[in-house]
Parts: sequence; structure tokens; C-alpha cells
Amino acid sequence: MSLSARMIAASVILAVLVAGGFGVLISAMSALDDAKQREAHSKDVAVAALALEKLFGDLVTGERGFILTGEQRFLQPWTEARKELDRRVLEFEQLSAANPEQLQRARQLSAAIRDYVLFYSEPLIEVARTNRAAARGEVAEAESKRLTDEIRRRFDTFRSEEDALAAASASSADRQSDRAIGLAVTGLVVCAVLIVLFGVYLARSTARPVRAVATAASRLAAGDLSTRLSRGGPGEVGELTAAFNRMAEELELSRAELESQNEQLRQSERRKSELVRIVSHELRTPLASVLGFTSVLLDRDVPPEEQRHYLDIVNSQARRLSSLLNDFLDAERLEEGELELSPKLIDMGAVVAEQVQLYKGQSAKHMLDAALPPTPLPVHGDPNRLAQVIGNLLSNAIKYSPDGGTVHIEAEQVDSVIRVSVRDQGLGIPEELQQRVFAKFFRGDADVSGIPGTGLGLTIARSVVEAHGGRMNFESARGQGSVFWLELPIAANGP
Amino acid sequence: MLAWPAANLSGPTVERSAKTILICEDDQHLRQLIRVVIGEGFQFVEAHDGDEAVELALALRPQLIILDLMLPKRSGSEVLAAIRPELSRDDTHVIVVSAWPDADAAALEAGADGFLPKPFEPEELMTLVSTVLGQS
Repeated sequence: MSLSARMIAASVILAVLVAGGFGVLISAMSALDDAKQREAHSKDVAVAALALEKLFGDLVTGERGFILTGEQRFLQPWTEARKELDRRVLEFEQLSAANPEQLQRARQLSAAIRDYVLFYSEPLIEVARTNRAAARGEVAEAESKRLTDEIRRRFDTFRSEEDALAAASASSADRQSDRAIGLAVTGLVVCAVLIVLFGVYLARSTARPVRAVATAASRLAAGDLSTRLSRGGPGEVGELTAAFNRMAEELELSRAELESQNEQLRQSERRKSELVRIVSHELRTPLASVLGFTSVLLDRDVPPEEQRHYLDIVNSQARRLSSLLNDFLDAERLEEGELELSPKLIDMGAVVAEQVQLYKGQSAKHMLDAALPPTPLPVHGDPNRLAQVIGNLLSNAIKYSPDGGTVHIEAEQVDSVIRVSVRDQGLGIPEELQQRVFAKFFRGDADVSGIPGTGLGLTIARSVVEAHGGRMNFESARGQGSVFWLELPIAANGP
Repeated sequence: MLAWPAANLSGPTVERSAKTILICEDDQHLRQLIRVVIGEGFQFVEAHDGDEAVELALALRPQLIILDLMLPKRSGSEVLAAIRPELSRDDTHVIVVSAWPDADAAALEAGADGFLPKPFEPEELMTLVSTVLGQS
């Protein structure tokens, strides 16, 4: 459930509870009002009963006075009471209507009064007008007393009932009042507690997570990109923390990426200056021979046989320079995928033999031992490029075994491929460097050990072999020498 | 160990007057060029790598060492650091030859008497050799 939905729900619940509390309070106050009204009504009823009783008293007193004295003036109050009686009786009955039992009593009382007036008082007065003595008879008197006592007893009953009702109403009003006060106090306390709880809930569900996000954001801004918020939280808070964590992750990733890019740039810068250093060194050494020997030839008197020897050196060193420049150009062409081949049907055995012959005289410390089959090894390839590859492997085998030793060269047909391998007894390649052996400009420990080179030979060699549809790899271990081998697909028809 | 010529190795029988020059250079043509340029009147001994260079320098105590910085096994700087405590500047002069023209300051600091960047003119080498040997 989302946070806003929760807050709305909590507000609605709080409003309903508060409204309910007020509703109960209002109902209690209304009950109190009812009880008060009932009490007041009981008083009205009692007053009406008293008024009716007084009227009845006037009737009886007038009747008695007239019968005893025969004086007309006593008949005056009786006549007035008689005139007013019906109105009073009606009023009395109407007021008593609120309580059925009292209404019943009121009606019986009214009936008794009416009966008394119609069937006793009026006839008696008629009699007394003519024969007072008859009207004053004991029988009549006793009947009058019985009837008036009966009516007064009924009034007493009615009043005491009404008093009881009034007392009950008063007590109910007290109870309702107590209840209303109790409810009001309880409602107030409950509302106060609910409002406090709601405030706490708001703080917990909104303010606290927002503060946590603000703190985390400050840490993030200060550079601690590993900052994360604990997951979860309702609705929007959950979304906020999740979004924050995503943002922090993205930032951390971007920074890692930038750092790695920076590192790559730095590495590439280092490689570039390394390359400049290598190129400089590799070019300067043969250039020193070329310049030195030509100067000697130009400036000094050199015997003819030595002239020849120096010119050979100049020639070989100029070729070395040319080959170095070709290597750099090849590396550039490889980079742009423009290595061109001029393939034709050749004998790989002859290519290998030619290179072995070339390198044989180059080092006094090394022996080159070539095992070549008597039959041709037909390959469809570029003879110059493949000669370059074999030359590179031989040159490496010699360079990387500075203490000398035997270099074994083998060329053979294995199934449908021509395989050439060059094995040396030199330094070998430590395992941790083996993965980068074919990388451009990679020279391993060679720099430290002072072995010259550009780090391009094997890169070019492998590309040339792969461009011929072959493959090239090596096995080596530190101090155990290396075997570099290549395999080329055999040509369909031999040369 | 000694590539050129073994008979020229300085020893008890060698005349005291013939100065010994140790050429430490891994490129055979450059070794030959240096020999040819400096010419007659010296005993030449050659080292192909840094280890050989230190060994021969300490054994022969030559008057002059021509030292390439980029040597197999041990660099020229390491060679210089290894021999300088044993061979004083008065007894043994060192000319550093390097393909890095900006290595001169470090080489002189490390105890070299002269510096020659590759490639060099034969006359430059001659002048430098005469200068440093003329000092003693």
C-alpha cells in the first residue's frame, strides 16, 4: 500500500473515530436533554393535576356550602368550576398522554370527576334548590364522602406516580449528564492519543525515511559512493530508497568505468612512450652501424677486403632498418585490417630451410638444428610473409636464449596441415605473461633483460598465419625454453 | 666468454704500456665499429651482456670501459653501479653509449666520464676517448 494511501486511510480512520466520539457525546447530551424535558413535563403534569384537584375541591366546597346554607353565593365557585372543568380535564389528559399508564389513570380520574359532577353533584344541587333537607341527608353525605375520597385517593395515586416518574427522569438526567461528561473526557483523551499516534506515524513513515535519504545523499555527495539505504519501506518511501540505491549503484559503476577508462588511457600513454623508446632504440642501433661504417669508409684508407666487409655490415644493418620500418607499417596495416598477401603454391620446407640458412651464421653461441622432410610441404601462401614468420620465430629463439644452446626446427605434414615448430632452450615465458605474448608491443621481461625488439614480431606473425587460414601458438615455462609452432592448411596439389 | 680476440686478453704477460679498453655492447657490428674507430694501440676486450661486463671490468681493471645502457641480463646502469665502488674514476674511465639521448645526466651522475648518444660520428667517439684518456 502506498504511503499516501496509508496516510489518507489513517486520516479517514482518525476522522471517523473523532466523529464517532462526538456522535456519542451528542447522543448523550440529547439523552440528557430528553431526561430534563421529561422531568419538566412531569412537573407540568403535577401542576395540571394540582390545578384539577383544586378545581374539584372548589366544586365540592361550593356544593357543600350551598347544600348547608342554601345561599346562592356558595353556588358561584361551583358554577365557575363546573364551567372550567372540561377544559381542565382535557388539558390534564393531554399532558398525561406521554405516559400510557398515567394517561389511563388520568382518564379514569377524569371519568370519576365527570361521573361525580353529572351523576352526583348536579342532581344533588337540583334537589337542594327545592329540598335542602333531602340533599343534606346522611345517605347523600356518606355517598359524597365516599365519592370525593375515591377521587382524592386517585389524585394521590396519580401524583405519587408522577412524582416517581419525575424522580426517575431526574435520576436519568443525572446519569446521562455523568455519562456525557465521561464520554466527553474519554473522547478527548482518545482523540489526543490518536492525534499523537498519527503524528508519530507520520514522523516514522515520512520524516525518518526522508532524513535517512538526506543523510545518505550527503555521504554520497562527500564521495562515499558505496552508500546504500536499507531496502523496504511503504510505497513511495520504498520507491525512493530503491531509486536512491539505483542512483548510487549507477554512480559507483560510472566512476569505476571512468577510473578504468582513465587507467586504460594512462596505460595507453605509457605504451605510447614505451613505443617511442623502443622505436628510438631499435632504429638507432643499426643506424649507428650504418653511419659509423660509412664514415670510416669515407674518411679513412681501408684495405679493399675490409671495405667489402664493412659494406656487408652497412648493407645488413640498412636491411635491418628497412625490416623494422616494415614491421611498424605491418602493425599499422594490421590495425586497419589491410594486410595484403600475394599467395602462390610454395614448398614450406624450402622457406624454412632458407631462413635457417640465413640465421645459422648470426650467433656463435647458438646451434640451429633443422629436421626437414625430403618431400615438399605444399602450401598456398605468400612466400615473403611466411619467410618473415619463420625468420621471426628463429630470431626470437636466438634472442630469448642469451646463454646459447640448440634451436630445433621441425617442419612436417600432420594429417591435412603443414606444421612448423621452433624449440629453444632459452628463458621461457612465465605463466603470468603467456596470455599477452601475441599482444602488440608486448615484450614481457625483455626490456629488463636488455633483449632488443619491438614487441611486434609475434603479433604480425600470428596475423600472417591466420590470414593464411592457419593457426599459431606456443608452449613454454619459465627457465624451460619455448616451443612456438604454426599450422597451415596443406595445398590441394603439390608443387 | 671473451669474443674478441682471446689472445688479446690482458694478463700478467701484457705490456703495461698498452691501455685496455672493455667494450660492453650486445650488437656485434657496433662492437666492431668501436674497435675500428678507436684503432691501433689498445687492448680490446668485449663483453656481450651486463654480467660479463661486470666480471671482466673487475678482473681486468681496464683504463676505459665503453658501456651500452641496454644490455642483456644486467643494464648498463646496473653495471656502472656494481663497478664504481671497486674502480675509481682515476683508474677506470667509463663512456656510456646509449640510444636514449636524454640518459646523459643520469649516466654522468652514476659515475660515467662521458656520454655518447647513438648513432654517433666516429670523430665524436675518437674525441671523447682522447679527452677522457688524456685526463689520466
